[in-house]
Amino acid sequence: MMFLLLSRSSIRRPVFSPRLARGYVAKSSNTERIPNISAKDTSAAEEKTLSSCPPGTILEGLNYLKGQPPVIALPDDEYPSWLWDLLKPKVYEDDGPGGKAEKKRLRKENQQRIKDQNFMKTQ
Amino acid sequence: MSKALKAKDQLVRILVPAGKAAPTPPVGPALGARGVKSMDFCKEFNARTAHIEPGVPTPTLITVEPDRTFSFITKTPPTTYLLKKTAGIEKGTGRPGHEVTGTISLKHVYEVAKIKAKDAHLKHLKLESIASTVIGTAKSLGLQVVP
Repeated sequence: MMFLLLSRSSIRRPVFSPRLARGYVAKSSNTERIPNISAKDTSAAEEKTLSSCPPGTILEGLNYLKGQPPVIALPDDEYPSWLWDLLKPKVYEDDGPGGKAEKKRLRKENQQRIKDQNFMKTQ
Repeated sequence: MSKALKAKDQLVRILVPAGKAAPTPPVGPALGARGVKSMDFCKEFNARTAHIEPGVPTPTLITVEPDRTFSFITKTPPTTYLLKKTAGIEKGTGRPGHEVTGTISLKHVYEVAKIKAKDAHLKHLKLESIASTVIGTAKSLGLQVVP
Protein backbone atom coordinates (compact mmCIF):
# COMPACT_ATOMS: atom_id res chain seq x y z
CA MET A 1 0.00 0.00 0.00
CA MET A 2 2.75 2.48 0.85
CA PHE A 3 4.56 1.68 -2.35
CA LEU A 4 1.45 2.57 -4.31
CA LEU A 5 1.09 5.93 -2.52
CA LEU A 6 4.67 6.80 -3.28
CA SER A 7 4.29 5.90 -6.93
CA ARG A 8 1.19 8.13 -7.26
CA SER A 9 2.87 11.20 -5.86
CA SER A 10 5.83 10.64 -8.13
CA ILE A 11 3.57 10.61 -11.15
CA ARG A 12 1.84 13.90 -10.18
CA ARG A 13 5.05 15.90 -9.75
CA PRO A 14 5.55 17.98 -12.93
CA VAL A 15 8.47 16.88 -15.04
CA PHE A 16 10.38 19.58 -16.86
CA SER A 17 10.26 17.93 -20.26
CA PRO A 18 11.00 19.75 -23.53
CA ARG A 19 7.39 19.19 -24.65
CA LEU A 20 5.90 21.20 -21.76
CA ALA A 21 8.48 23.97 -22.15
CA ARG A 22 7.63 24.36 -25.84
CA GLY A 23 3.94 24.67 -25.03
CA TYR A 24 4.47 27.53 -22.57
CA VAL A 25 6.69 29.42 -24.97
CA ALA A 26 4.14 29.25 -27.79
CA LYS A 27 1.30 30.68 -25.62
CA SER A 28 3.21 33.66 -24.28
CA SER A 29 4.48 34.93 -27.64
CA ASN A 30 2.96 38.17 -28.99
CA THR A 31 4.14 37.77 -32.56
CA GLU A 32 0.78 36.46 -33.84
CA ARG A 33 -1.24 39.55 -32.88
CA ILE A 34 0.73 42.14 -34.82
CA PRO A 35 0.16 40.67 -38.32
CA ASN A 36 -3.60 40.43 -37.57
CA ILE A 37 -3.91 44.17 -36.99
CA SER A 38 -2.17 45.05 -40.25
CA ALA A 39 -4.39 42.58 -42.17
CA LYS A 40 -7.50 44.34 -40.81
CA ASP A 41 -6.25 47.74 -41.96
CA THR A 42 -5.58 46.61 -45.55
CA SER A 43 -8.93 44.78 -45.81
CA ALA A 44 -10.78 47.91 -44.64
CA ALA A 45 -8.99 49.95 -47.29
CA GLU A 46 -9.82 47.36 -49.95
CA GLU A 47 -13.51 47.25 -49.00
CA LYS A 48 -13.89 50.97 -49.70
CA THR A 49 -12.99 50.63 -53.41
CA LEU A 50 -15.87 48.62 -54.85
CA SER A 51 -14.65 48.64 -58.42
CA SER A 52 -11.55 47.35 -60.14
CA CYS A 53 -11.85 50.27 -62.56
CA PRO A 54 -10.27 53.36 -60.98
CA PRO A 55 -12.02 56.73 -61.50
CA GLY A 56 -10.68 58.66 -64.45
CA THR A 57 -10.25 55.63 -66.71
CA ILE A 58 -11.29 56.37 -70.26
CA LEU A 59 -14.00 53.97 -71.45
CA GLU A 60 -13.25 53.58 -75.14
CA GLY A 61 -15.71 53.17 -77.92
CA LEU A 62 -18.75 54.49 -76.07
CA ASN A 63 -18.59 57.97 -77.59
CA TYR A 64 -20.28 56.96 -80.83
CA LEU A 65 -21.77 60.40 -81.55
CA LYS A 66 -19.80 62.90 -83.57
CA GLY A 67 -17.82 65.28 -81.44
CA GLN A 68 -18.73 63.48 -78.24
CA PRO A 69 -16.01 63.75 -75.57
CA PRO A 70 -14.58 60.44 -74.34
CA VAL A 71 -16.58 58.72 -71.62
CA ILE A 72 -14.67 58.71 -68.34
CA ALA A 73 -15.21 56.41 -65.37
CA LEU A 74 -16.53 58.25 -62.30
CA PRO A 75 -15.69 57.59 -58.64
CA ASP A 76 -17.49 54.58 -57.16
CA ASP A 77 -19.90 56.73 -55.09
CA GLU A 78 -21.44 58.34 -58.15
CA TYR A 79 -22.81 55.05 -59.48
CA PRO A 80 -26.13 53.71 -58.18
CA SER A 81 -25.85 51.17 -55.37
CA TRP A 82 -27.65 48.42 -57.31
CA LEU A 83 -24.78 48.31 -59.79
CA TRP A 84 -22.51 46.50 -57.34
CA ASP A 85 -25.10 43.79 -56.69
CA LEU A 86 -25.57 42.89 -60.36
CA LEU A 87 -22.98 40.14 -60.38
CA LYS A 88 -24.27 38.47 -57.22
CA PRO A 89 -27.03 35.86 -57.59
CA LYS A 90 -30.40 37.53 -57.30
CA VAL A 91 -32.08 37.14 -53.89
CA TYR A 92 -35.85 36.81 -53.76
CA GLU A 93 -37.68 37.77 -50.59
CA ASP A 94 -39.45 34.88 -48.93
CA ASP A 95 -43.16 35.35 -49.64
CA GLY A 96 -44.20 32.19 -47.85
CA PRO A 97 -45.65 29.05 -49.43
CA GLY A 98 -46.71 29.50 -53.04
CA GLY A 99 -44.79 32.75 -53.38
CA LYS A 100 -42.42 33.90 -56.08
CA ALA A 101 -39.30 32.87 -54.16
CA GLU A 102 -40.54 29.31 -53.74
CA LYS A 103 -41.51 29.01 -57.41
CA LYS A 104 -38.09 30.16 -58.55
CA ARG A 105 -36.36 27.79 -56.17
CA LEU A 106 -38.46 24.78 -57.17
CA ARG A 107 -38.00 25.47 -60.89
CA LYS A 108 -34.25 25.75 -60.42
CA GLU A 109 -34.12 22.50 -58.47
CA ASN A 110 -36.27 20.69 -61.04
CA GLN A 111 -34.13 21.91 -63.92
CA GLN A 112 -30.97 20.83 -62.15
CA ARG A 113 -32.45 17.42 -61.40
CA ILE A 114 -33.37 16.91 -65.05
CA LYS A 115 -29.88 17.93 -66.13
CA ASP A 116 -28.32 15.50 -63.67
CA GLN A 117 -30.57 12.66 -64.84
CA ASN A 118 -29.77 13.43 -68.46
CA PHE A 119 -26.09 13.39 -67.68
CA MET A 120 -26.34 10.08 -65.82
CA LYS A 121 -28.08 8.54 -68.84
CA THR A 122 -25.00 9.27 -70.93
CA GLN A 123 -22.76 7.45 -68.47
CA MET B 1 -61.86 40.43 -90.45
CA SER B 2 -64.59 42.91 -91.33
CA LYS B 3 -62.33 45.21 -93.35
CA ALA B 4 -61.02 44.05 -96.70
CA LEU B 5 -57.30 43.54 -96.03
CA LYS B 6 -55.05 45.41 -98.40
CA ALA B 7 -51.51 44.24 -98.94
CA LYS B 8 -49.73 44.50 -95.60
CA ASP B 9 -46.93 46.90 -94.79
CA GLN B 10 -43.61 45.24 -95.34
CA LEU B 11 -40.99 45.46 -92.62
CA VAL B 12 -37.32 45.37 -93.43
CA ARG B 13 -34.77 45.06 -90.64
CA ILE B 14 -31.30 46.00 -91.75
CA LEU B 15 -27.99 46.98 -90.22
CA VAL B 16 -26.51 49.99 -92.02
CA PRO B 17 -23.26 51.82 -91.22
CA ALA B 18 -24.18 55.35 -90.15
CA GLY B 19 -23.70 57.99 -92.84
CA LYS B 20 -22.60 55.41 -95.38
CA ALA B 21 -25.75 54.11 -97.00
CA ALA B 22 -26.24 53.33 -100.74
CA PRO B 23 -23.92 50.38 -101.33
CA THR B 24 -25.65 48.04 -103.70
CA PRO B 25 -25.06 44.66 -102.03
CA PRO B 26 -26.64 45.11 -98.60
CA VAL B 27 -29.17 47.90 -98.99
CA GLY B 28 -30.04 48.00 -102.70
CA PRO B 29 -31.63 44.59 -103.31
CA ALA B 30 -33.29 44.48 -99.88
CA LEU B 31 -35.17 47.68 -100.59
CA GLY B 32 -35.41 47.43 -104.37
CA ALA B 33 -37.23 44.12 -104.10
CA ARG B 34 -39.97 45.91 -102.23
CA GLY B 35 -40.20 48.77 -104.67
CA VAL B 36 -38.35 51.45 -102.72
CA LYS B 37 -35.88 53.68 -104.50
CA SER B 38 -32.65 53.12 -102.63
CA MET B 39 -31.26 56.61 -103.40
CA ASP B 40 -34.17 58.27 -101.58
CA PHE B 41 -33.72 56.05 -98.56
CA CYS B 42 -29.97 56.56 -98.49
CA LYS B 43 -30.18 60.34 -98.64
CA GLU B 44 -32.69 60.45 -95.83
CA PHE B 45 -30.79 57.89 -93.77
CA ASN B 46 -27.50 59.75 -94.10
CA ALA B 47 -29.21 62.98 -93.13
CA ARG B 48 -30.72 61.42 -90.02
CA THR B 49 -27.50 59.73 -88.93
CA ALA B 50 -25.32 62.77 -89.55
CA HIS B 51 -24.84 63.24 -85.80
CA ILE B 52 -23.42 59.73 -85.40
CA GLU B 53 -19.78 58.86 -86.00
CA PRO B 54 -19.58 57.49 -89.57
CA GLY B 55 -19.30 53.73 -89.87
CA VAL B 56 -21.10 52.82 -86.65
CA PRO B 57 -23.58 50.03 -87.49
CA THR B 58 -27.11 51.33 -86.98
CA PRO B 59 -30.04 48.93 -86.90
CA THR B 60 -32.95 50.36 -88.81
CA LEU B 61 -36.50 49.19 -89.23
CA ILE B 62 -38.00 50.24 -92.57
CA THR B 63 -41.74 50.07 -93.05
CA VAL B 64 -42.77 49.91 -96.72
CA GLU B 65 -46.43 50.64 -97.33
CA PRO B 66 -48.40 49.16 -100.22
CA ASP B 67 -48.17 52.42 -102.16
CA ARG B 68 -44.36 52.14 -102.00
CA THR B 69 -43.85 54.98 -99.55
CA PHE B 70 -41.51 54.17 -96.74
CA SER B 71 -40.67 55.32 -93.26
CA PHE B 72 -37.89 54.12 -91.02
CA ILE B 73 -36.73 54.15 -87.44
CA THR B 74 -33.10 54.06 -86.34
CA LYS B 75 -31.98 52.50 -83.11
CA THR B 76 -28.87 52.56 -80.92
CA PRO B 77 -25.87 50.50 -82.07
CA PRO B 78 -25.95 46.78 -81.22
CA THR B 79 -24.88 45.89 -77.67
CA THR B 80 -22.29 43.44 -78.98
CA TYR B 81 -20.71 46.17 -81.09
CA LEU B 82 -20.48 48.53 -78.11
CA LEU B 83 -19.05 45.82 -75.85
CA LYS B 84 -16.47 44.73 -78.41
CA LYS B 85 -15.30 48.30 -78.86
CA THR B 86 -15.07 48.89 -75.10
CA ALA B 87 -13.20 45.65 -74.45
CA GLY B 88 -11.01 46.19 -77.50
CA ILE B 89 -11.75 42.84 -79.12
CA GLU B 90 -12.57 42.12 -82.75
CA LYS B 91 -14.78 39.08 -82.39
CA GLY B 92 -16.56 37.19 -79.67
CA THR B 93 -15.71 33.58 -78.89
CA GLY B 94 -17.09 30.55 -80.66
CA ARG B 95 -17.30 28.86 -77.26
CA PRO B 96 -18.82 31.19 -74.66
CA GLY B 97 -18.43 30.02 -71.11
CA HIS B 98 -15.32 28.04 -71.99
CA GLU B 99 -13.09 30.69 -73.54
CA VAL B 100 -12.44 34.16 -72.14
CA THR B 101 -11.80 36.94 -74.66
CA GLY B 102 -11.44 39.89 -72.30
CA THR B 103 -12.45 41.58 -69.07
CA ILE B 104 -14.95 44.35 -68.51
CA SER B 105 -15.86 46.35 -65.44
CA LEU B 106 -19.35 47.08 -64.11
CA LYS B 107 -18.68 50.74 -64.92
CA HIS B 108 -18.41 49.83 -68.62
CA VAL B 109 -21.66 47.90 -68.30
CA TYR B 110 -23.34 50.92 -66.74
CA GLU B 111 -22.27 53.23 -69.56
CA VAL B 112 -23.37 50.77 -72.26
CA ALA B 113 -26.72 50.40 -70.50
CA LYS B 114 -27.10 54.19 -70.46
CA ILE B 115 -26.66 54.26 -74.23
CA LYS B 116 -29.13 51.43 -74.80
CA ALA B 117 -31.70 53.05 -72.51
CA LYS B 118 -32.18 55.77 -75.14
CA ASP B 119 -33.96 53.24 -77.37
CA ALA B 120 -37.73 53.57 -77.63
CA HIS B 121 -38.37 49.87 -77.13
CA LEU B 122 -36.40 49.85 -73.86
CA LYS B 123 -37.65 52.99 -72.20
CA HIS B 124 -40.18 51.16 -70.01
CA LEU B 125 -37.39 49.12 -68.37
CA LYS B 126 -35.39 50.05 -65.29
CA LEU B 127 -31.74 50.83 -65.94
CA GLU B 128 -30.94 47.94 -63.59
CA SER B 129 -32.76 45.50 -65.90
CA ILE B 130 -31.03 46.87 -68.98
CA ALA B 131 -27.67 46.52 -67.23
CA SER B 132 -28.36 42.84 -66.46
CA THR B 133 -29.15 42.21 -70.12
CA VAL B 134 -25.88 43.86 -71.07
CA ILE B 135 -24.05 41.53 -68.66
CA GLY B 136 -25.77 38.58 -70.35
CA THR B 137 -24.60 39.78 -73.77
CA ALA B 138 -21.08 40.23 -72.44
CA LYS B 139 -21.08 36.64 -71.21
CA SER B 140 -22.15 35.39 -74.62
CA LEU B 141 -19.17 37.19 -76.15
CA GLY B 142 -16.84 35.48 -73.66
CA LEU B 143 -16.16 38.69 -71.75
CA GLN B 144 -15.53 38.36 -68.05
CA VAL B 145 -17.45 40.95 -66.01
CA VAL B 146 -15.80 42.08 -62.79
CA PRO B 147 -17.04 44.68 -60.28
